[in-house]
Amino acid sequence: MKKKKIGLHLFMAVPAFVLYGIFFIYPLTKGIGMSLTNWNGYSAPEFVGLKNFVDFFGDARALHDIKTTVLFTLGSAPLLNLVGLLYALLMNSKIKGKSVARACIYMPAIISPLIMGYIWYLLLQPGRGILFTVFDRMGHPEWFGNWMGSYSTTMLVLVLVNVWQYAGMTMIIYLAGLQNISQDLYEAAMIDGAGAFARFCRITLPLLIPSIRINVVTNIIGSLSVFDIVMSLTGGGPGYQTETLSIYIMRMCYGSKTGYSTAVAIVMFVIVLVPVLISLRLMKRKD
Amino acid sequence: MFIKKTIALALSLALAGAMLAGCQSNTPTASGSGSQASTGAADGEVVHIKLFTGKIETIDVMNEIIEDFNASQDRIVVEQEYQKDASNVIKIKFASNEVPDIMTTYEQGFVDEGKYMDLTDLNEFWDRMSPEMKAACTDVNQGKAFRVCTNMTMAGFFYNKDILAQAGYTEFPTQWDEFETMLKTIKEEMPDVTPWFIFGSEAWHLGHLIEFIPHGYLKSTLGTIECKKAMLANDQDVLRFADPDGAMAVFAQNMLDLQSEGLINADVLTATNDNCVQDFANGKAAMFSNGMWALSSVLEANPDMADKIGFAPYPAYMEGSEPVVLSAEDSGYSISATTEHKEECIEFLNFLFSADNQKKYSEVAKAPSAFKDVQAEWAPANIVEEVNAALENAVNIGYTNEKPAGFSGDDAGRYLQNLLAGQYDAQGFAEAYAQAWNDGMAS
Amino acid sequence: MKKTYSLLRHLTVLLICLMCMSPFLVLLNLSLNTPRHNLYEDSLIVPDFYFGNYAEGWVKSHIGRAMVNSGIIAFAALALIVLLGAMAGYTVARFPNRFNRMVFSVLLGCMMIPGIINTVPLYTLMIRIKAVNTLWGMALVCATLALPQAVFVFSGFIQSIPRELEEAAIIDGCSYFTAFWRVVFPLLKPSVSAVVILNGFGIWNNYSQAVFFLQSSEKHNVPQALSVYFQQFAGAQWNLMAATAVIAIVPVVAVFLVFQKRIMSGLTEGAIKG
Repeated sequence: MKKKKIGLHLFMAVPAFVLYGIFFIYPLTKGIGMSLTNWNGYSAPEFVGLKNFVDFFGDARALHDIKTTVLFTLGSAPLLNLVGLLYALLMNSKIKGKSVARACIYMPAIISPLIMGYIWYLLLQPGRGILFTVFDRMGHPEWFGNWMGSYSTTMLVLVLVNVWQYAGMTMIIYLAGLQNISQDLYEAAMIDGAGAFARFCRITLPLLIPSIRINVVTNIIGSLSVFDIVMSLTGGGPGYQTETLSIYIMRMCYGSKTGYSTAVAIVMFVIVLVPVLISLRLMKRKD
Repeated sequence: MFIKKTIALALSLALAGAMLAGCQSNTPTASGSGSQASTGAADGEVVHIKLFTGKIETIDVMNEIIEDFNASQDRIVVEQEYQKDASNVIKIKFASNEVPDIMTTYEQGFVDEGKYMDLTDLNEFWDRMSPEMKAACTDVNQGKAFRVCTNMTMAGFFYNKDILAQAGYTEFPTQWDEFETMLKTIKEEMPDVTPWFIFGSEAWHLGHLIEFIPHGYLKSTLGTIECKKAMLANDQDVLRFADPDGAMAVFAQNMLDLQSEGLINADVLTATNDNCVQDFANGKAAMFSNGMWALSSVLEANPDMADKIGFAPYPAYMEGSEPVVLSAEDSGYSISATTEHKEECIEFLNFLFSADNQKKYSEVAKAPSAFKDVQAEWAPANIVEEVNAALENAVNIGYTNEKPAGFSGDDAGRYLQNLLAGQYDAQGFAEAYAQAWNDGMAS
Repeated sequence: MKKTYSLLRHLTVLLICLMCMSPFLVLLNLSLNTPRHNLYEDSLIVPDFYFGNYAEGWVKSHIGRAMVNSGIIAFAALALIVLLGAMAGYTVARFPNRFNRMVFSVLLGCMMIPGIINTVPLYTLMIRIKAVNTLWGMALVCATLALPQAVFVFSGFIQSIPRELEEAAIIDGCSYFTAFWRVVFPLLKPSVSAVVILNGFGIWNNYSQAVFFLQSSEKHNVPQALSVYFQQFAGAQWNLMAATAVIAIVPVVAVFLVFQKRIMSGLTEGAIKG
């Protein structure tokens, strides 16, 4: 009996680590090596040292892409969390047809991204899309403003669509988290005379910290690596104005700058790492 | 409970074990090339040929031809792989040394790296083609042919004959100022009709406009070969991309003029190919620029268009130049330089290129065959007539394969997007374009 | 007062649902239109009720075969993700020794690395282990990609499960390993369902890896089946594609409905009572 106790449980992370090691970390080490070369994807690579990294910081298009990506995340990550939490609270309350409602909210995330992009464009295309057509037939085409006309409003549209599409995912985590909160606690608080808001602040929020942590980190990572939504709504355009880092990396990778694209991916890793570490520090376990 | 635990444990151990074993057993296999399964096929063994294609429109007919081929003999089995993003996927395949035996993707960079087999001596193919087609298939750098193109494609203006007639035009103008006047007339006569529809949300389309109009000017005045050489050498004394009166700046100014006068659609930056097809098919757009591949979707959206569609070259817009029309090689097949089954690949291509199969192929691809002995009905007769007239009355230009590696047609199109979004004036556009081109050449 | 509040809440939910369903309604509408239906001019809401798209889509795209493939891949990958993820999440949450902390940070760190770096080396590896064009190979890759987030989710939720539960089992003579499977794992049902829902559809709809690892048309998954409607320079056959996509959504929604119920099965109370 005693012997068993020391053993297995300490190594339960090993299978996951082995799988990950083979299919991610091992290729990754090779991938990182490419960032020091000028490899174009087909001819023999040459070692160029840190040139790719130096080039990156002198590349106006890349720097603009960082700005776009960060701006997008500043809007998208907090909003996703907020909306996801609201959805979860609503879906956890007494509502008829809850399970159907949950499926509805999750629906945009179920449809293949391949076709989702087209649908978003069909809905939101300026001057032609379904939303515009609806307003037009109501006699108010002006309700559909020139949203895709300027950089800032386009960014706003992208953020909102992203929230629309992915808030369901955030909701799922919060819903699962809410299940771990015992009803007894609420009952006790009610007996103490705490109002709904007080109960939320004193019980729900603190006990939801693990879910919040998961969602904050996931949404920061997800927003900073946004690809599909931008690709389908603006294609990064006009020109490269709404291009994000992920799109840039993809275009470089397939545009005969494979080595360089790897270097940009490493820079992007750092850009993602910093806010994730900060937010993890802020939400450090207090238990 | 105990059972559950045991299963879980066994599963995780088995998994870890399997993965370790999987790794070990594979270390000895050197990263070979081509299809390893059939390496060193002895007599009687079946050879597998991998055919890689990005051409969606020919998947079904190719499957049919491949099936016939596989059934016709028992030594070779051809397998087709289709990829929507073929030009991206092929890069990863080259990068990993897992190259298909036959492929439809073709890039200058791969040619220069010796990725394709030299097909120059396969006269059984070339003898059936016009010398122009053979020249179009030949790489200028090395003077050798690395692909065989089964078809030709044309690009120019598709226009609605009825709308032009209503505006008083029976002939499509050949000079840019007349062209602009015509667009104005159309706008005045029919305010609801978009004179020229440009679907600029799709960067490739704008890239094509640059390719056909300013690059077209260079190719038509310099001659195809001289132009290709100038591009390969990036001879800016000849190309003059950044010059205020060069082909780029004048083209950009023309586009800006059309935009400010409302002669192109107002939503040029967000309109899509589908929008263009719909509007043209419904008589809401008078014309658009595109290649023959656009024809089938227009006819599908409105079959009555068949006898209303006209086809015209791009009007001349620089002093002393002539109208141009794209007449280029299309649907090329190349063999990998590293294939271990050269003979079998050629045997299959022979089968694919037979006159019977090519007639089928042309009619599905909606493009005239490159082979002289193939008589395909690839489009409605009156459209074929239109196209032939356009080819006769304009300088025929080809595609530019000599673009810098890091500067694709899509990239070129994005510069035009920026111009139409008001980011540049004409001169600024020309300079930015030249800059991007030069940077692409340098890297 | 309470009644109006409840009514308001229902209205809000209805509105949210409508908004979230709009893409699907568009999809449904497209799938029932003939190619000639022009959304901008003809009816926006009432489709042509042309069911031919479904028949043609079913045959042309081989979506049935693709659904089986996607299903096998998703099932295998999810089993791995849940098993390995829960095990790793447990040790990370309960025994934060140096190795486990390292595993956790590495996984978390790798979540932030754009996967595109790996494309070429991973493809080379897959060729060497003869995993290209196999469903198991694809399942392993999909499981790998989802693993970090799963570990993250599981460790987070295990932290919020009171230690006393396992400790009681340990006192009864269980090892930690047994206690995990007997006591903790059953309690994880809500998070297992969450992990399944969060990753399942991504795997079902995976395109970026499938492009490389499922080349032969017999092995194509759902998005690859859909991709046959794209034409590079001539738009796509959207109506056929929409019909095919609707077919492929049906089993997915069914699975969702089953698992989302389990999220809500509120196990905590029951477990403590038991």
